[in-house]
Amino acid sequence: MSFFYIMDDVTIEDPDRGEDVVVLAAGGEIDFSATPQLRQRIVAHIEAGKRRLVLDLTQVTFIDSTAIGVLIGALVRLQDAGGGSVTVVCDEYNKKVLRIFEIAGVDNLIEVHGTREEALTALALSG
Amino acid sequence: MQAVTAHDSPCAESGELRLAAHASRLGMAREYARQAAAEFGLDAESCDEFVFAVNEAVTNAIEHGAPDEDGQITISAVVGGDRLTLSVRDYGTFAGSAPNTTALAESGRGFALMTRLTDAVQVCVGKGATTVRLSRLAHDRAAAGETR
Repeated sequence: MSFFYIMDDVTIEDPDRGEDVVVLAAGGEIDFSATPQLRQRIVAHIEAGKRRLVLDLTQVTFIDSTAIGVLIGALVRLQDAGGGSVTVVCDEYNKKVLRIFEIAGVDNLIEVHGTREEALTALALSG
Repeated sequence: MQAVTAHDSPCAESGELRLAAHASRLGMAREYARQAAAEFGLDAESCDEFVFAVNEAVTNAIEHGAPDEDGQITISAVVGGDRLTLSVRDYGTFAGSAPNTTALAESGRGFALMTRLTDAVQVCVGKGATTVRLSRLAHDRAAAGETR
């Protein structure tokens, strides 16, 4: 049985840019049984006008190619909507996730930071 | 959990695992692959890679293949010499399609990843069945990544 969860999302207001950052945190195993739920959550935020998404995968123990597909799909949707970013949080010890990013060749498309604070700081700087 | 009508039936004698062709069974397939890889002696990182590859093959069988009349697909692990081979069999006929190599494609990465994480990927299309065989060589037992 696969084990997967998504925490309640956190919205961080950014009055300087007038564009909020949404942080989604997932945990457990993101496989083909879990990706529809993750995709739905991400798409809902994009459709609601959010353009900067942070996906915290610190507690994720497994990802597959369909999970990678969800992240790439989010990037494409954001591009189609005029631009935006998907930033991943995953600490350096979570090799199971980082290795798949590397092998799938998406580490050059999606920015990965070790902590949520680093990701948010990078977003503020990139503003 | 969603309703699944077919039963899962591990068969201790043959080492086969018959699984309901449903995404909720992927965790069982991964556990089966992890156990086979660990018994074969792969180190932790190589086990993870093998499990990932098997998960991709089983996902493909569930998503694109067809189950048998009982709603199941079959996975089995065999050690031959210095090679661990895990077979994933569904009962559809693989149509074959070019993998999607576009960086921004949302799907189509499974096979490419399988080939990168194993020593051999073989697809056997027979009458009424498709079997994907994933092999990993024993050199990974001694030193992960040294010869890869």
